[in-house]
Order: sequence, then C-alpha cells, then structure tokens
Amino acid sequence: MKRFEYADQKISDKQILVAVPSFVIGIGILSLPQSVASVSMASDGWISILIGGMIVLLITWSVAKLASSFPNQSFITYTSAIVTRPIAIVLTFLFAILSMSVTALQVRQIADIAKHYLLKETPVEIISFTFLLLIIYAVAGSRTGLFRLNTLFLPFVLFVALIVIAFNINWFDLGFLSPTFETSFSGYMEGVKNSVLSYAGFVILWFYITLVKEPKNTPKMAVLGMCIPIVLYLSLYLTCILVFGNSVTSNLQYPSIELAKIVEIPGGILERFESLFFVIWIMAIFNTTAMAFDIAVLALNTIFTNIGKINLIFIIAPIVYVTGMYPQDLVQVSIFGSFIGYSSVLYTVFVVILLFVIAKIRRVK
Amino acid sequence: MRVNSFFNRNRKKKQEKEANNITQLVKNLDANLQNTKNLLDEPADLAIRKFTVRGSEHQCATVYIDGLVDGLYVRNNIIENIQLETEGKQIPDNKQKLFDELNQEILSTTSLQIGYTLDDVSNGILSGSTVLYLDGIDKVFIIKTQGWDKRDIQEPVTEALIRGPRDGFVEDLRTNMALMRRYIQDPNLRFKTYQIGRRSKKNLVVTYIADVIHPDILKEIKRRLDSIDTDDAPESGFIEQWIEDNYLSPFPQLMNTERPDKASAALLQGKAVIMLDGSPFVLIAPTTLGGAMQSPEDYYERWTIGTLLRILRYIAAFIAIFLPSLYIALVSFHPGMIPTNLAFSIAASREGVPFTPLIEAVLMAITMELLREAGVRLPKTIGQTIGIVGGLVIGDAAVQAGIVSPIMVIVVALNAIASFALPAYSIAIAFRIILFGFIFLAGTFGLYGIIIGYIMVNIHIVNLKSIGVPYSTPFAPTFFKDWEDLIFRKPIPLLTTRPEYMQTNDKQSTDKENRS
Repeated sequence: MKRFEYADQKISDKQILVAVPSFVIGIGILSLPQSVASVSMASDGWISILIGGMIVLLITWSVAKLASSFPNQSFITYTSAIVTRPIAIVLTFLFAILSMSVTALQVRQIADIAKHYLLKETPVEIISFTFLLLIIYAVAGSRTGLFRLNTLFLPFVLFVALIVIAFNINWFDLGFLSPTFETSFSGYMEGVKNSVLSYAGFVILWFYITLVKEPKNTPKMAVLGMCIPIVLYLSLYLTCILVFGNSVTSNLQYPSIELAKIVEIPGGILERFESLFFVIWIMAIFNTTAMAFDIAVLALNTIFTNIGKINLIFIIAPIVYVTGMYPQDLVQVSIFGSFIGYSSVLYTVFVVILLFVIAKIRRVK
Repeated sequence: MRVNSFFNRNRKKKQEKEANNITQLVKNLDANLQNTKNLLDEPADLAIRKFTVRGSEHQCATVYIDGLVDGLYVRNNIIENIQLETEGKQIPDNKQKLFDELNQEILSTTSLQIGYTLDDVSNGILSGSTVLYLDGIDKVFIIKTQGWDKRDIQEPVTEALIRGPRDGFVEDLRTNMALMRRYIQDPNLRFKTYQIGRRSKKNLVVTYIADVIHPDILKEIKRRLDSIDTDDAPESGFIEQWIEDNYLSPFPQLMNTERPDKASAALLQGKAVIMLDGSPFVLIAPTTLGGAMQSPEDYYERWTIGTLLRILRYIAAFIAIFLPSLYIALVSFHPGMIPTNLAFSIAASREGVPFTPLIEAVLMAITMELLREAGVRLPKTIGQTIGIVGGLVIGDAAVQAGIVSPIMVIVVALNAIASFALPAYSIAIAFRIILFGFIFLAGTFGLYGIIIGYIMVNIHIVNLKSIGVPYSTPFAPTFFKDWEDLIFRKPIPLLTTRPEYMQTNDKQSTDKENRS
C-alpha cells in the first residue's frame, strides 16, 4: 500500500521545470531590450540574446548535471566530498551572500519601478519594506509552498506577456528590422554580456536539485525550463524593436513596460494597461525574490545547523533591507545590479569548473 | 488558579466516592432501587414502576427516564408481557431460572443487554434505555427503548437547490446514518462510532467507504478525534474546531453540509464524513478550495450548465473579494487607468461626498454586514422590513444625504450579491473577512497593495492543509487529471475516475471488477 503523502520535503523534477523560469523571469526582462538595443544596430540584438541563451543553457546543463549526480545530498555535503569541508563552507557562504544580494537588489528595484508606475507619492523605503515583509512571510512557510506558488503564478505571468505581444501586432513595423547584420563584433559581445546577466538563475539549481526525489531527468527539465525565458526574451525584444524601432528602444528605461502602454483593452474598460502589466509582473518578481531569499536561508542553514530557520530569516532580513536601501540613486542601483549579475555568472562558472576538475582528479563519485 | 481547581476536583471526587461507593448491584430489589435513586439524586423525571410477575411472588421493577423512552413500547413489550403473557405458564421458583426465562421467552424486545454494575444501569437509563430489575438477583436487563420527538426530514434551508433531492440531515444520528445507508447501499460503507464529551457523551460517527478511502487519511482523522477532550460538543462546529489544521486561518478546512447527496458524493470521492448526534450539519474531510467552490447542482444539470455555473462562481468569488478594493485603488491612486468618460461620471457622482473612497467603502461594507446579520436574527415576519429599510438606507437615503456616492452603492451591492452566490456559507464568510483586508491594503497602497494582498493570500493557501491534503490541490500541487472536474466539468459519462489527489484505493468509480 502506498503511503498517503504530499512529499513535503521532496519535489518532482517537473517543479524544477517551473522553478527555473520562475526564478529567471523577473526584473531583468523589463530593461533588457534597452541594454541590448543600445549596443546593436536595428534588430540585430536578437542574435546576442540567442547566443547569450545558448551559453546560459550550457551552464545550466552542467550545473544541473553536476548537482544531480549527487542525488539527495545537499550542496555542502557533496562539495565537502570533492573539496574538503572548509572550502565547501566558504563556497556555500559565498552563495548565501550572493543570494542575499540578489534579494536586496530585487527588493530595491521593485520599489523603484513601483514608485515610477504605481505609487508616485510613497517613499521607496516603505514599498521595499512591505515587499520584504511579504517575502519573509513566504519563506517562513514551507519550501514546497514556494514551489506551489511558482506553479500558481507562472501561468499568469506568461499569459500577460503573451497579451502584451499579441495586442501589439497591429503596431508592428517591419521596416524597423532592417538593416540586418550591421552590428560590429564587439557590439554583439556587449549584447551577449548584457543578456547573460538577465538570464542568471543558476543559483537555484545548486541548492534545489538536492530536493528532487529522482534527479535522473532533472538536467533535461532544467534546460527545458531555461528555454521558456529565452523564447520569452526573444519575442519581447523583437516586439520592442518592431513597435518602437532601435533608437527609441535604446532610450526607454523599461521598454517592456512601455510596450504595455500601447495595449488597448477591447471595450475600453481600462486604460493604461502598463500599470496592470506591472502589477501582474510583481508576481514574477516575487517568485524570484522569495526563492533567492530561501536559498540564502537554505545555504546558511547547512553551515549553521544549530540556528533555526525562523531565526535565520530574522537575521538575514535586516541585512538584506539595509543593503537594498544603500544605493542612493538609479545609477548606483544599476551598477549594483550588473555587479551582482557578473559575480553570479562568473562565480557559478568558477564553481562548476572547480568542482568538475577536482572531482575528476580525485575521482569522487 | 489551575492548581487550586485541580485540588478541588480531587477533593470533590473523593466526597462523591464516599457518598456513592456502592457500585455493585445487590440481590435485594429495594436496595437496588434506592442505590439507583441515590446515584441520580432522585430526579423528578425518573419513572419507577414496581410489579409482580403474574402467577408468582417475584417482584420486579422498571426504571427509565420519562421523555427519553417510548412509553408505549415499554408498556407493550415489557410490562404487559410480564404481567399477562406469563398466564398459565409454570413460573420457576429459582430466581436464576426465571431470569433466563424472561430473557428467552417473555420479553419481546429487539435489543437487550444484561447489566452487572450500577454504572451500566446509570449509563443505560441516561441514554434512554429501560432497566428491568428482578428481586433476588444481582443482574438487570437493559432494554433499548429510545424514543423521543425528532424533526422530520426536510429540505435544508441553508443549501437549497433548484434540482436535486429534497431531503436533509436532521439532529438524530440514527436517522442520518439511515439516510447515508439509503444513498450508498454498499457493504463497504462503514460507520465508526466515537463518544465525544466527558459529560455529554455524544455519539460521533465517522463514515467512509472502506475500499475507497486511503487508510492514512482515516488514521489521521481517528488520531485527531481521539485528541478531543471536552465536556460537551453541541454542534459539529466544535468538532471542526478541534480537529482542523490551522485555527488562525479564515478558510474552512472542513466543509459542512446538510445535504446527504453532497455527503455521499464526498464518500465516493474517497473522503470521510463526520456526523455528530444532535447536529444536522455533517463535516466532510478533507476539503480543498476547489471543492468548496462546487455545488451538487453542477452535476445534476447538464455539463454545459454545470461548467458555466462554476465559471460564474469563480467570477463571483473574484468580485466578492476584490471589487471594492479595486474601486478604491483606481479612484484614489490610479485615476488615469479609468476610461475618461467613466472617470468624469465617477468624479461627478463623488462631488459633495465628504469621505475618501476608503472610508466610504468601509462604512458601506460594515452596513452590509449589519444588514446581513440582522436579517438572520429577525423573525421571518419582520425580515422583510429589514429588506425595505436596508434598501432605502443604503440604496437611496445615503446617496440623497450625500454621505456616499451612488457608484459606491453599486460596488458594495454587487459585492454582497456575489458573496451570496457562493455555494458554501463558510467560504463566503472567509471571503468577506479577506475583503476588509483588501480594502485597507488598497486604501494605503493602491494596486500595489492589492497584489501584495493577493500574493499573501496565496502564500497562506499553499501552506494550508486539510487533514494532510494541501488546500490548493489540484491547482498546485498540480494534478492535471483532476482538472476535468474543477472549473470545467466533463460530461458525466466521461467522468469515470475518482479524483487523483485523494489517492484512493480503487480508481475507477464505474469499474465493476474492482468492486467484487
């Protein structure tokens, strides 16, 4: 007789399929068309986004492969087996700091955008604070709960993105596509760099794959999950170019939200769709932030095993809040953002190579 | 305080013991009767009738509580038999032989037990049995003679349907069990009896179909029922509050119903039904949010109607939770989102209204709650007055007096109607509680507040469980197969399997091979 169970500690690899795009899709896509369009000509940016996507797929696959070859072992356990325990602790701790910075950045950015599009009069500090409280509430619940929230919110997010694209078809101007392939090589590279930043979401693979019950198919699922944001980014980018053209796109701060401005709801029951779009998009940002915070907690929990989860949350939360509030203006926020993006990607690549090489040398299975 | 009462209780127990330390039955009839009277402190409704067995000198007596027993039954099947049927028979002198003969030949009752202690006697008398004493023997007959006035089976008032059976549960547990038996004539339909309440000793029955329900669910329900420690449980609501998973949640984690058809459908889905003596409301466990939005009528009407009704109900739920808060957010924070013409007419209608939309909405929503509550309390004859007064007060006079804007009246009225369109009162109330939270969030943060609140409710729901089953099933954790009967309902002939999320023992509800 099978036990009646909803597997509260274990997840299925389908949930990784949902978790990866839920983590990746967030604030990054809102400004990505701007950062790519500004370094490329006409519609050439899609090549950068595609190449960036391929690179990211490769990294995703190798991280997932590595993590799933140690089924049901936490990150710190298998890294301890490969590179001694002190180094494993350092690696885990750096991941925790990285996740905390991601959380801080998201909490800050959502407040900036919400102030811009929704709440002109409310101070950023208050908006961030309420959002952080929400994140704390989510993380204090069960980890399975977070995965269920991913499943509940991702369809809404994809649906609203689809609406934005579909309702803009009328405004497409194919003239904006040409001239093609005029961008210089360095432009493409710059675009690739920018797009890889907005894909960065490997952190969750390191930590969540250990929760998967049978991680045999997990690398495939993770790669499949990563394909969703790639397709979404490509189509949103092309829509931006087709509607605004390259020069306008590269001067808008959040081109994806501006796209929503053009949408007219049939029957005219609502205007200014961009506010609604961003409201729905908060769900996506929530998923990213909640998972990042949860990973910070999870990582620290494996190091400091005697501190309870709730205590850890209340230790981390103030640090996150202060870090998020530290940048003084939008420029500093964006510098902070790209710094975190680069370090996340480089650090992941570094850890993958380190672990792969040492595991090969020491023949750890 | 607690220590004190603890000692007091101990002392009291000791005193009681000294006064009634006679717990065994004796051979003398009068002594037995006296002991029984002492035990119960000679209540006014204790009926004692002494008589002799016809044709002999044997004394006997019946004891029962007047009002709990069927007097006619006692007379016809007990007293009359002993006084009349024994005519011409040889009555044995030996007391034990007489006792056996009474048992075997003379008493023509259907359910008969033999009691040996005063405890048996008092339990029997208090539960509506008649105790028959025989002089010279230290045993008694405890004869089931329960018979009190009970309500007829009627259509439940709170869950009326257009199409569907017109019967409902009543307060009497036996009647309710019989109803379930009539709905499901399956040898695997099981009734597990518990006694709830140290003093009230109410019977509680857990009903399930043994080869359908997952044994772990049953085990969990039993474990929780065993943890109940209370003096009395006057309504199944007490049971619900004792065994629910999270008492801080506004959501009902066990569904209550008065409809036997709904209860039997739940049984067939692999759920358990908890029935309490004295309450016409039975509990269905476990419950999910999706299940709480369904009505039996969805199945009785054709699938198109059932599906559309469900979609309508989800829209109603949306309106019941969000409408006033959306109005507040749009009017006070994002007027740019309202179409220009509508914005003008709203602005015109709000002219002269002294309050902010937040205050306006809170005022009107509280008025609505007052009307609803008053409508429940008032007798039916005055009930109509409340309708008229309420209609005039919130509909017209408030607008005329310039306290609220007419659009706010529309919003609140629509909101109230939507919450009454939901099939279960308990879930509708939960939504109305959340509504106030959303009103305040919208009043402080606009649309941002609403989405924060929405995410918060979602976080709560995904972490909530009902007897181990996540409340958000089958949305997330996702069981795509169960979506055939969630919002969209497949035609009945295609709806052949039990819900997957209940992990039932036999999957097919129409598979006859599994039944045998």
